Parts: sequence; C-alpha cells; structure tokens
Amino acid sequence: MLLTLDHVTVAFGGLVAVSDVSFSVSEHEVLGLVGPNGAGKTTLFNAISGLVRPSKGKMTFCGHDLTGIPIHKRARIGIGRAFQVPQPMHELTVRENLIVAQHFGTGHSNPGKIDEILDLTRLGHKANRDAASSLALTEQKALEVGKALATNPRMLMLDEVLAGLETNGKRAFMQTLDDARQRFGVALLMVEHDIETISNTCQRVLVLNFGKLIADGSPEEVFRNPEVIRSYTGGETA
Amino acid sequence: MMKYLSLIIILAGAYLAVPLQFGGNDYVIGIVVSALTIAGIAVAWAMLGNLGGMISFGHSAFFGVGAYGSALLAMNAGLPVFPSILAGGVIAGVVSILTMPTLRLRGPYFALAMLAFAEIFRILAIEMRWLTNGSGGLLSIPRLPTVFGFDFGSRLGGYFVVLTLVLLTVFVYWLIRNRPEGLALRAMHDSEDATLVVGVNATRLKAAVLVVSAFLTGIMGAFNAHYINFLEPDYAFNGSWTTLAIVAAIFGGYKTLWGPVAGALIVYLVDQFVFKAIMPSGHQLILGGLLAAIVIFSPSGLLPWLASRFRKEAGDAAHP
Repeated sequence: MLLTLDHVTVAFGGLVAVSDVSFSVSEHEVLGLVGPNGAGKTTLFNAISGLVRPSKGKMTFCGHDLTGIPIHKRARIGIGRAFQVPQPMHELTVRENLIVAQHFGTGHSNPGKIDEILDLTRLGHKANRDAASSLALTEQKALEVGKALATNPRMLMLDEVLAGLETNGKRAFMQTLDDARQRFGVALLMVEHDIETISNTCQRVLVLNFGKLIADGSPEEVFRNPEVIRSYTGGETA
Repeated sequence: MMKYLSLIIILAGAYLAVPLQFGGNDYVIGIVVSALTIAGIAVAWAMLGNLGGMISFGHSAFFGVGAYGSALLAMNAGLPVFPSILAGGVIAGVVSILTMPTLRLRGPYFALAMLAFAEIFRILAIEMRWLTNGSGGLLSIPRLPTVFGFDFGSRLGGYFVVLTLVLLTVFVYWLIRNRPEGLALRAMHDSEDATLVVGVNATRLKAAVLVVSAFLTGIMGAFNAHYINFLEPDYAFNGSWTTLAIVAAIFGGYKTLWGPVAGALIVYLVDQFVFKAIMPSGHQLILGGLLAAIVIFSPSGLLPWLASRFRKEAGDAAHP
C-alpha cells in the first residue's frame, strides 16, 4: 500500500471537517475523491500533505508514519501536491520552478528529467523567459503538475486541476496526466467536480459528505449509490 | 557578451582609473571608501531582503559586532589584521544566531525586533567596559598592514581593500542567488505553500541567509575598525549604518545584484559632494526627497528603471 488513512479526523475547534475517514491508495492507482462543496476534500488533502494536522487517527505513506513528518519532508518520501489555485513561485521562471522542486524534493539535480517534464507539460517554449506569474491559467496549472512531478512523487494529489478549463483544455490536461502516469509510474489521487471526467479516468472513487466517507468503489457502483445521489441533490442524508 | 564587457570596464575603472585620477586626494578617496563601506552593507542587507523577504532594521548590530570583534582580536590576541577582519565577520555571523528567534516574525515585526537587537548590542558595548572600554571606546586599533611594499593602511590602500570586499560580497550574493537554495529563498516570501510542498525547509534556509548576511556586514564593520583605527559604541552601532544601507539599496534597486552598490555610490557621493556643499547642515533631507521620488517613479529602484529604458531604446533602434 502506498497511502493508508486509518480513522482520520480533522477538527478546527468545534467544527469537524473530516470525520473518521479510512481508505488506502495502492501503487499506480487512479483514485477520484468527490463530494459536494464543503464536504472536506481539500481539508483531507491538506492533512495528507501536512498543511493541517489531524486531531485523531493515523496516516502512513510507504510505511512511514506521517504524524511526525513535517510538511517539507513529505515531498521527499513521495507525496506530490498540485493546488486548486495554482501556486507557482511567482518570481521564478518555469525552469527555475522545476529546479527548486527537484532540488528540494529529491535532493539531487537531473536536468534531463526537467526537460522531460517541460516536454510533457508543453511548457518547453516558455521555460526560460518570463516569470511564472505571467503565465496563462492553463499554463500555471500545467506548471503546478510539473512542479509536483519534479519532486519524483509516488503519488500525485491533484486538487481540482481541471476547474476553469474548457472541454478541449480538459481533454489535453487529462492526456498530460495520463502520460505522466505512464512515464513516471505515479498514482493519482484527484479531487474533481466533473463527474464525467472522474467516471472516465478513475478506477475507484471515494465520496465525502459532511466530512464522512459515504462511498468507496468503482465509478459505476458509486454513482448508482442512493446516498451519493442524495448528497449531490441536497436531500436529507439522515 | 555586453554584460562581461561592461563588467570589465567597471572593474578597470574601479581598480585603475579611480586611483590614477584621485589617488593623491585623500579627501575624495576617503569619501569613496565610506560610500563603498555602505555599499557592502547594502548588498548584505539586500541579500536578506531579497532572498527570504526579511527587512532588517538591525544590521548596525552586525556591523558593530564585526568591528569590535576584529579590533579586540587584533589588539588583545595579536591576530594579524586581515585574519582578524575575517574573524570579525565570523563573530558577527555567530552572533546573528542569537537573533534567530526573530525569524518566526514577519514583515514589520521582524524589522522592529531586529531594531531592538541592534539597540541591545549598542548598550552591551557601552556597559561591558572590561571588554570594550565602554563609551571611552577603543583607541589605536592596528591599521591595515603593508604588504609587498604597498601600504594598505593608507587611504588609497583602504580603497583597494574595501573595493575588493564589496566585489567579493556581490560575488557571494551572486553565487547564492543562482543556486536552487537562492531560487527557493527568492520564491519563499510570496509563495510559501508552493515552496513547502516541494520540500523546501524555509526556516533553515532563512537562518542560513541571515548568518551569511551578518557575516558579510561584520566584515565591512571589521574593515572599518582597522581603517579608521578608532571605535566607540555610538559610532560602531550607529543606526545610520542600517538606514544609509537601506536607502542605498532601495534607491539602486534592492532586488538587483548591483543596485545596492550603485545606490550607495550615487546617494553617498552626491550627498557629500553636492548636497553638503549647498546645504552644510540638514543635507540628508534632500536624500529623503530623492528616495521618495525614486519610490514614486520607479518602485523597483534606479537600475531596473535604467535597464527598462535601455531595453526600450535598443528595441526602438532595432525596429525603427
């Protein structure tokens, strides 16, 4: 198992954002995480990448107990994260962004791999010129994935990376992710609102609602689950 | 190519033309040495400001500690002057570790905490009479030596030493800036989460750059001690070592490599040779006005403004 969550709860004061969630991700798996707004998806991501600390439960990644591992060391053990709102290192060029990610995420430099990532994300022509802050949204999203890939992740967490893209853009982006998976053998854990994309790409889907995991299975069974349908249509869940 | 050519011209000018033209005039050389001393602090200050986003109001502490450290080592331990200048820098670097709790603070809070630290060191220098002779100061600090018949203790000798120190400071800054660590530091202050999730240990890098900046500032202080051969707390820990460096760095462009040097030279030389002649007292007022003007017209400083003008003209010439 790559990642295992065992009864993880994240509470902010009295507000329980993630409640008693358990699941695991295996190597090379493509796993979707869905749920209505406010269901706790991003909080769960933040807990795994170390931005927030769970109040209860245990997380392990590749045999490491994540509890004592500070955020900056999680990249080293193979957790890659792409944010919902792209977080480029604004002042640096695309290539410099990747150099920093590679140097600190892996501990060594490998210019060949950086060229490979530039090629994969189709950012080669912009690599050395302007600051990352001047990139268009699509390019910033591609860079977000590129930076994560530069840290040699074993699992890539993608937080709504497709949001704001039009249909062709989405298709091209999914192609990039698929290439990345094939070439670098990473597992994908993706939060996405677009049910169609999730159904087409993910082998397994998790559904969160009010912080609780209400379904875990193949897209077909999950999207037929009455509780999942209710959570999306806003009906009574009790 | 253009870059290397202009660098060679500037170096030739600095090492040959200035001494040939003004070498005999101790007054002019003395003022240039002061300008370069401020340039060195300005580069070290800008390094901390640009790499890591830490605006320090307390660099006079490192300047003073470097000065006192080197002077005392040379006077009491009989260390030769050049090694003791280096040791002064090391002492300032070590002392900066004491200020590290301030790294937990951000923006103005960091700046103010550093200001308080500088004040603490000034008071320590006054109170620790057994070591520093208090406000009586240190007299007859060993001067820079004569090497191969050339007297580095002369005004002109001091000029060559401080010029070399400033160039080395810029070189160190350049080395760090281009390493992945420097890139991460540049990115850190406005993209903190982005650097964290790719594995950057922000605290450790900030601490490291603070030590380097303190070391380089301490070197300038140590040089100054042996150049003027006299120290007292209110001089060595004077807040103007910080403020002049900040004015110089912001005026020249604190995000550029050479901006702080250009800023220090322009601001200090124009102040001493022009404004002081027009307005013998209170001439610093004009500096304040100049700084306000540059912040309004080109917030990133003089050098970036000149560079964009130059690029524009080159562009116009290429496409008439």
